[in-house]
Amino acid sequence: MKKLLLALLCCLAGLDGAYAHAFLDHADPRVGSVIHASPAEVKIWFTEKLILPFSDVKVVDAAGNEIDKRDKRLDPANGALLIVSVPALKPGRYTVTWRATAVDTHVTHGTFTFAVSP
Amino acid sequence: MKKFAVRGAIAAAALCGVIHPRAVMAHGFEGDRFFPPTIETDDPFAVDELSIPTVSLFHNPPDGGSTTREIDIGGEFDKELLPGWDLEFSDVFTLLHPKVGESTNGWQNFSLGSKLELIQNADHEFIFSIGCDWDIGGTGGRSIGANSFSTFTPTVFFGKGLGDLPDSVPMLKPFAITGEVGEDLPTEAANPNALEVGLALEYSLLYLEENVKDTGMPHPFRDMIPLVEFTMTNPQNRGGGPATGNIDPGVLYESRYFQLGAEAVIPMNRHTGPNVGFIVNVNIFFDDMWPKIFGHPLFGGGPNLAENNPGGSAK
Repeated sequence: MKKLLLALLCCLAGLDGAYAHAFLDHADPRVGSVIHASPAEVKIWFTEKLILPFSDVKVVDAAGNEIDKRDKRLDPANGALLIVSVPALKPGRYTVTWRATAVDTHVTHGTFTFAVSP
Repeated sequence: MKKFAVRGAIAAAALCGVIHPRAVMAHGFEGDRFFPPTIETDDPFAVDELSIPTVSLFHNPPDGGSTTREIDIGGEFDKELLPGWDLEFSDVFTLLHPKVGESTNGWQNFSLGSKLELIQNADHEFIFSIGCDWDIGGTGGRSIGANSFSTFTPTVFFGKGLGDLPDSVPMLKPFAITGEVGEDLPTEAANPNALEVGLALEYSLLYLEENVKDTGMPHPFRDMIPLVEFTMTNPQNRGGGPATGNIDPGVLYESRYFQLGAEAVIPMNRHTGPNVGFIVNVNIFFDDMWPKIFGHPLFGGGPNLAENNPGGSAK
């Protein structure tokens, strides 16, 4: 058992900063929600800070056409908030697909929908 | 054997330390789905895992005798060597406290296993793997009943999330099932072969909140995965007796760096035993704690960070 602990200590010696997978914490519009007015942006708050060049977010309409403005960015004050602008959305169902690469290079994916009602 | 294993672990840790990580992808992800490491059933992913400890408590009647309280304290270390291929080391320390007679304790046989991911489909949250476990005879204590012979268990594993169900049934999408089917092949001819089956039915509240519907559920509840596991051993020859197994309802809680799990262990028939037991487990996400050391194959592989296809396969 002592030797096992020693092995674990060897691992601890390599500790160089603890981060984790970036999971979606919440989004605006909310996951699965129905909203009555078009948002100007789709915002996703993650549980970890992201590396922007290796992260992405897309918004597509019901026909599968990408309708976001392809201007993904991180909030300057919050590296865990991924934003993309969208034009005025017509009533319909929209799918948000994201790829998040956390600062320790963990990669996660996700998809959710929201709807704009008349 | 244990000294060899520990020295091997130290050497592996040292080797890992000199490998600079590329992209890090451990845990069991398939597409949008996070498959948690389940307690009783081995998951289908060949990734880095550190499961320590797993503590189970049973009251078992020995054959025709009085009740014995059994406490098992186990641990498992898995290391991905090449992309989709790992080596797995595990052992269990058993304490037996009979109602009548003296208590005893000791190690079960050391177990060495390997797993290979064969089929992955991110869009359908599906994975299929094969593996083999070697329960090394004679490495455990005879006093607690460890076998003097080895047993090989070739096994197939699978995992399937239901995220690809139609949007008309959104609340079913958080369901997932993982399973394993193996065959115990003892090296001593007098002992029976046995079919090993394990299934885990999960309902991921993480998946619900991230991918289906933000219900406003607060932490820590939205970080939980209720599940039911089913395990069965069915001897097939040489007078192996009837099938035994358990039905284990419980819950897993996912935190940033570890998973806590707790399940009741309900015997599936009277041959298994009359009493309900309990099992708790801590699974340390050491790929998150030490991302430069763990969470990627020892040699080669890893996803391409420049990949820019959200929703694509992670591996």
